Amino acid sequence: MSTISPEQPAPAAATTLETEVLIIGGGVTGTGIMRDLALRGIHSILIDKIDLCAGASGGNHGLLHSGARYVSTDLEAAIECRQENELLKRLAPHCIEATGGLFVAVEGDDPAFADEFPELCRRAGIRCDELTVAEARKLEPHLSDRLVRACRVPDATVDPFHLALANVDHARLTNGSLYRSHTELLRFEIVDGEIRSAVCRDHRTLAPLTIRARQVVNAGGAWAMNIARLAGCADVDLLYAKGTLLVNHDRMTRHVVNRLRPPGDGDILVPGGTVSILGTTSTRIQDLDHVAPTVDEIDRNIREGAAMIPALAGARYTRAFSRVRPLLQGTGNASDRAASRGFALLDHRSQGLANFCTITGGKLTTFRLMAEKAADLVAGRLGNRQAGTTATVPLPGDDAGRWTEPGAAPKHWYKLNDPGDMILCECEMVPQSAIDEIVATPPGAEREVMSIEAISLRSRVGKGPCQGSFCGIRVASYLYDSGYYRDAAGLVHMRDFFDERFKGQRPVIWGRQAAQMELAEALHCGLLGLDALDAD
Amino acid sequence: MNMIEQPRNFTTELAVIGSGIAGFAASVFAVNRKIATALAGNSGAVAYTTGYLDLLGRLDGIATAVTDPWEGLLHLRQTQPKHPLGRIAVADLRAGFDEFTSFLGSGGIAYSRAGDRNVTALTPAGTLKQTLCVPATMAAGPRAFAARAACVIVDFEGLKGFSSREVVANLGGRWPGLAAQRIGFPDMARGEVYPEVMARALEVPATRERLATALQGVAGPARVIGLPAILGVHRPDRVHADLERLTGLEIFEIPTMPPSVPGVRLRELLEQALPKRGVTLIPQQKVTGLGFDGDGATLDLRDSYGPIRIRARAVILATGRFLSGGLEAHPDRIAEPLLDLPVTQPAGRADWYRERYTDVRGHPLHRAGIEVDAESRPLGRDGRPCSERLFAAGVIVAHQDWIRSRSGAGIAIATAYQAVGAAERYLRGSSGGLAATPSLNRQVVVPGE
Amino acid sequence: MAAAIAAGPLRRADRTKQMAETAIAPLNFKEAALELLPPGANFDACLTCGLCSSGCPASGIENMDPRKFIRMAMLGMDEELSTTPWVWCCTLCKRCEYVCPMNIDVSQLVFLARGNWPQDRKPKGIARSCHLAQLGDSTSAMGMPPDDFAMIVDDVLEEVRGEQPGFQHLAAPMDKRGAHFFVNQNSREPMSEPEEMVPLWKILDRVGADWTYSSKGWAAENFCMFTGDEEAWRNVIKKRVDAVNDLGCQVWLNTECGHSYYTMWQGVKRFGLDARFRMDSLITWYARWIREGKLPIDSRWNTKGIKFTVQDPCMIVRKSYGDAIAEDMRFVVRTLVGEENFVDMQPNRSANYCCGGGGGFLQAGMTDQRRIYGKRKFDQIAATSAAYVLTPCHNCHSQIEDIGRFYGGDYGVVHFWTLMCLSLGILGKNERHYLGPDLRALID
Repeated sequence: MSTISPEQPAPAAATTLETEVLIIGGGVTGTGIMRDLALRGIHSILIDKIDLCAGASGGNHGLLHSGARYVSTDLEAAIECRQENELLKRLAPHCIEATGGLFVAVEGDDPAFADEFPELCRRAGIRCDELTVAEARKLEPHLSDRLVRACRVPDATVDPFHLALANVDHARLTNGSLYRSHTELLRFEIVDGEIRSAVCRDHRTLAPLTIRARQVVNAGGAWAMNIARLAGCADVDLLYAKGTLLVNHDRMTRHVVNRLRPPGDGDILVPGGTVSILGTTSTRIQDLDHVAPTVDEIDRNIREGAAMIPALAGARYTRAFSRVRPLLQGTGNASDRAASRGFALLDHRSQGLANFCTITGGKLTTFRLMAEKAADLVAGRLGNRQAGTTATVPLPGDDAGRWTEPGAAPKHWYKLNDPGDMILCECEMVPQSAIDEIVATPPGAEREVMSIEAISLRSRVGKGPCQGSFCGIRVASYLYDSGYYRDAAGLVHMRDFFDERFKGQRPVIWGRQAAQMELAEALHCGLLGLDALDAD
Repeated sequence: MNMIEQPRNFTTELAVIGSGIAGFAASVFAVNRKIATALAGNSGAVAYTTGYLDLLGRLDGIATAVTDPWEGLLHLRQTQPKHPLGRIAVADLRAGFDEFTSFLGSGGIAYSRAGDRNVTALTPAGTLKQTLCVPATMAAGPRAFAARAACVIVDFEGLKGFSSREVVANLGGRWPGLAAQRIGFPDMARGEVYPEVMARALEVPATRERLATALQGVAGPARVIGLPAILGVHRPDRVHADLERLTGLEIFEIPTMPPSVPGVRLRELLEQALPKRGVTLIPQQKVTGLGFDGDGATLDLRDSYGPIRIRARAVILATGRFLSGGLEAHPDRIAEPLLDLPVTQPAGRADWYRERYTDVRGHPLHRAGIEVDAESRPLGRDGRPCSERLFAAGVIVAHQDWIRSRSGAGIAIATAYQAVGAAERYLRGSSGGLAATPSLNRQVVVPGE
Repeated sequence: MAAAIAAGPLRRADRTKQMAETAIAPLNFKEAALELLPPGANFDACLTCGLCSSGCPASGIENMDPRKFIRMAMLGMDEELSTTPWVWCCTLCKRCEYVCPMNIDVSQLVFLARGNWPQDRKPKGIARSCHLAQLGDSTSAMGMPPDDFAMIVDDVLEEVRGEQPGFQHLAAPMDKRGAHFFVNQNSREPMSEPEEMVPLWKILDRVGADWTYSSKGWAAENFCMFTGDEEAWRNVIKKRVDAVNDLGCQVWLNTECGHSYYTMWQGVKRFGLDARFRMDSLITWYARWIREGKLPIDSRWNTKGIKFTVQDPCMIVRKSYGDAIAEDMRFVVRTLVGEENFVDMQPNRSANYCCGGGGGFLQAGMTDQRRIYGKRKFDQIAATSAAYVLTPCHNCHSQIEDIGRFYGGDYGVVHFWTLMCLSLGILGKNERHYLGPDLRALID
C-alpha cells in the first residue's frame, strides 16, 4: 500500500463524464436505484455532496420496521413496511439483525391504545404476540418495573451504511456504474426541456466536473426540493422534520424497544451492533443546513426513554445527531408524525422536463421499493423493458461492509491471531490490516482520496467511547509510516476528523464523556497543537 | 472480631487531596517547609503528562505562540485579572518552579531551569510546542532544532502512535537535516511494544548496550538522535547519560501519546520520594468524605485493606477537573463533588462547548471552576471562605483554560505554591502553631493486641 | 533467551486437540461486570487509554491484554473471552486496577472466566492442587495428611534437638489449645524440603512466641481461588477458620507465602465466615519483633556488601495491606542486610510487577507463557544488580528462581527466615540450600 498516497493526481481538471443515468444523493435510496438500474443493464453515476448516508439514511435508528409503529397512523405504510421487512430479511441478511421488537407501555400510558394495538397489527398482517409483564422483563431485564403492557413484533435492525456500500459495490461489479463522493451539484444545463448535463465540483478541492446523462434522478432526500428547483421544478413540496437521536455506547437490550403509545419523543430504543440508539424528537424546521441537537431535545429523549428503560437516565452517551426527514406536503392534517411516511415519485412532466424525476419521502425500511419505482420510470424512459429484480436477487455480501459491522473487525482479528497485525482503534478493535484494505480499495469510492474521516465512514474507527481521540492519532501515524501521508495533509486530516467527530459528541458531553474529552483535548491541543495548525 | 472494619487513623498537620502535579507540588512545598503532610487521592491525569512543564504557551483566543511567558503573564494580568496565573507574584512563580524541579532533579529527573523565554519543544506529530522547562532527557531536541543540526528520529517496530516519518514529514520543511529511521527494540518479539516496557528494559545495562549498537547503525553522519520517550522510568537521567556515553551521540526524547512514560516516571518518583521525606502517602485511593469541625478536618477514604481516616489541621484541595474527578459535569450543572463547593460555570449546557472542537478560543466549559480568595481559600455560596482550614490548588480553580493556554504545570505549581504558603500562615498563626519538628506519621502495620 | 522470546506468544493451537473435551459455555461478561463492579469503576468508565496494558506483564501473551479484555467484553465477544487461555496467564495481580485512573478491575472478570471453564479443561496442575486441598483435614494442596505432617515435624524437630547445639529444647507445638499464634505452613517444606521449616521455628523460639501448628487446616496454599471455583475456595477456608477457632488461637499467622494470606483474608470477608481471630502476615511480626528488640538481627554479617533486593508479593502488598506492609518489609530487609546493601526494584511496593508465579501460573503447565511474563521481573531484578532476591512468598520464590535460570541471571532467591537465622548465627548446616557460595563463605 505504500504506493498509494493522498497526493496522487485527482481526476484532471474540467473532466466530463458520461453515463446513462445520473443519480443525485448517496443515501440508501440513491444507492438502491443505482443497483436496481445496474441489474437492468443500465449504467449510472451516483454523486453525493458529502459521502454515503450523510443525510437521513445515516441519521436514523437503523430500525427495520415491522410496520407496527405505523398501524395507528398509516395502515398503508405499515403494510409496505411489513412486506419490505420480510423481503430484506431474506435478501440482505448480512445487513440485518433479526432482533425482534417489543412494544411496551408503562404506568400512565393510554390503555386504550394498547388495547387496540394487537388488532391493528393483525389488520396490517403484522404478527403481534402479547406478552405478560414478567415475560417481557425476562426478555429484557432493563425494562422498567412500572411496565404494564408488552407485545412482541418482528422489528429488526439494519445497518444503512452496509446496505449503501453493498448496493454501490454490486452496481459497480455488475456493469461498472460509478459512485463519486464529495461531488456537489452546482447547476443543470437544460436544453429543449431536457437536462443535458450537470455541472458539479469537488466539494473539497473545488475542481469542476461535468456529467452528461440521458436521465437524471433526484434522490436528494431532504434536499430534493432544492435540487428540483435547480432544474426549475416547483412541484416538489416538502416539510422538514428535524429528529434528534442519541447513541449510548452500550447495547442495553436485545430487542428493539418501542413505547406502546401514539408516536412521541424518545419512544424507540434500537440496539445497533454494540451500541444503542435512542430517539427521536420531532421538530419542524426551515433551514436545512444548520441542524444540530439541542439540550432540550436530548433531555426529552432521555426522560422519555428512561420511562421504558430507567438505566437510560444514567447511561454514557457518546454522540447525538439530528437529521432532517423530508415529509410530503399535502395531507394537510395535524402533526408531522402523522404526516405520510409514504413516498412520492414525481416525473416533472408538468414542469416541462422529460428526463428528470424526483423520489423523496419514505423511510429506510422501504428504500428498495422506492428505488424500484424510480428505476421503473427511468428504465421505461430509456426504452429498457427489463423488469426490476431487486425483489428476488439477493444483495451480495459481504466484503463491502465488512468493516462497518460492529464487532466484526475484532472477531476477524481474533481468529487470525497475528500479533503483527496491531489494533489501531482500540475501542472498536480495528486492526492495521483493515485500514490497509480500506485505503487500498476503499469500498464505494475507488478513486477517492481516503482521509481518516473517510476511513472512519468505512469502518468502526472512532465509533467507540473515545470517539476517535486516540485512534485518530494512531491511524495518522500508521499512514505516515506506510508512506501514505508525506506532508502536513495527515495533520489536517487528523484535525478535521476530530472536528467532525466532535460535532456528534458536543451535545452529550457530560459525566464520563467529559473526562474523556478533557483527555482528548489535552492531547490534541495541549500536546499536538492541532488547534493552532493554521497559525504555526 | 477481626472482620469489623476499624478505620486506620492518621493525624497530620496538612492533608493534600489529589496526587496530580498540583497535589505533588503542594506536598513537596509542604515538606520543604517542615509541615507534617499526608497525601491521598487518585493520581488521575498525572499519568498522561508529557514531561514538559508548561507555564504559558498561548494566550487564549490568540493563535500565535507565546515565546516570552513572563511578558505573557503581564498581559494576562491586565486582560484576565481573575486568571490564577495573573494572581501570583513572578518571583513566587519562579521560586515554585525552581523548588519543584530541583526536587524532581534530586530524584533522578533533572529539569532545565525556568528561563526568560519559552523553549520550542518537539511533539510526536512533528509540530512545535512552547514550554518552560524540559527534562534533561528531552533537552537536546529543542537545542538541535534551534541549531538545525543533522538529526535522525528513530522509531520502533511495534510501537503504535509514534512515527519518525510523521515527525520528519511535518518538521522536515523547517529542519532540513532531519531524517527518519526505524529499528527493532532489542529482544522484543514481533507484535505490539509499549513505551513503558521498553523504558523498563532500558534500565538493564545490557539492553542499553544492544540499543546503543542499533542506534549507531542508523545514525549515519548525524550526531543527534531523537527517540520516543522510553529512556527508563526510574532515574531516566542515568539511562539517558549512559546511552549517550555508549553511542557517543547526543540523544533526546520526544513525548508520546498515552500510555506514555513521562507520567509514570513522575508518579513513581514522587510516590517514592515523598514518603522518604516523611509524607504519609495513601496512593491511588479517592477521598470520599471531607468534613470540618472546630479542631480540624477529617478525610475518609479506603484502600484495599479497609477504611482510613485522616485528621488534619488544614487541607489542600487539589482534585483536578473532570478527568481526575475534582469536578463533575452533570447534565444540568457542573459540580464539585467532595464539598459541593459552588462552581463558576457557563449559564447552561448549550454554552459549554463551542461549535468547532479546535476553535482556537477554547471552550467555555474549561474556564469553569471554584473561586478562591487571595489566601487560596475556596469560597462558599455566601462569597466567604468556606473554611479557614481549606485551601485549593491546581486546575480546579476557575478562570483559566490550562489546555489552550498550555499552562497546566504552571497553574498547578503556582497555585500549590500559594496554597502551601497560605496554609503555612494559617498553621503557624492558629492556636498551637506548627510542631517544632514534623511528627513523622508514617503508616506502620502494627500487629494487634 | 532470544530463542524463547522469538517463539513469541503461543498460538492458540491446542483448540483442535481439545475438541473432545467439554465445551465452554459462553459467559455474558458485560452483564457480569454490571453486577460485579462498583458503579464508578465499571467498564463503562474506561477511557481506553491503555495504561492497564502498558503496565501488565501479560500483555501480548495469547495476543491479549487487559484493555482488549475490557473492550471485547463491551463488544460482546463472550465466546472468545470464555475460551481464551489468556485467563490462565493473567495472574489476577490487580496491577491494571492500580494504575487505572478510573480504578477498573479486570481481574474479577478473569476470575469469573476461570470458574466458567469446565473442570476437565482447567489447567491440570491448578485443578489437581485444589482437588487435593479439599480431600482431607490438612487442606494441603500436595495432599499431605495430618499424620504425615505431624510425623515429619516430629522427625525434623528431633533431629535439630539432637544435632544443633543450643536447640535441645526447640519446640514445634502441634494442636496446642489457646496458643497465641496459629502458624500455617506451606506444604512444600514438609513435602520436599523439611529442614526449611527449622529457621522459622528458631525465630519463633528466639522471640518467645506462644505458637502452635495444627494438624487440621495447617496448610497455607489455596489453589481453589485460582480455579475460579468459589465453593471450593470457601470449603478450604472454612476448614482453616474452623481449625483456628477450635484451637482458640488469637492470631492466624501467615508465614512466607503470599496467596495464602489473601485467600484467607478475602475468603473470610467474601464468604462471611465467623473468624474469631486476627489474620496477620509474618512480615509485620518480624518488623515488630525487631522494633521491640526481641529479634536482635543486624547486618554486621554482610561484610562483603552483598546486595539484596526484595520482591513485594502482589497478594500481600497491592492486594491486601498496601504500602504499609511493604514499608515493614523494607525495614526488616534494611536491618538485615544493611541500608547500603539494599536496592529496591523499580517499580516497587504497590506498583510492583507480579513475577508471573502467581494466580496458579506456576502450576498451569504454560511454561513458555509464564517465562515471557516473567521477563519483566527478570529485567527489574537485573537492573538492581542485586545478588539475591528476598521474598516472603513461595510462588514468587519459585518463579524468580526459574526465570533467573532461564534468562541467564546470576542471582539467588532466599527466604527471610534463612537470612535472619544467618544474621543471628543460628542457621543450621542443612538449612543453607538457598545460599550461594558468597553467603556460605561468610558463615562457614
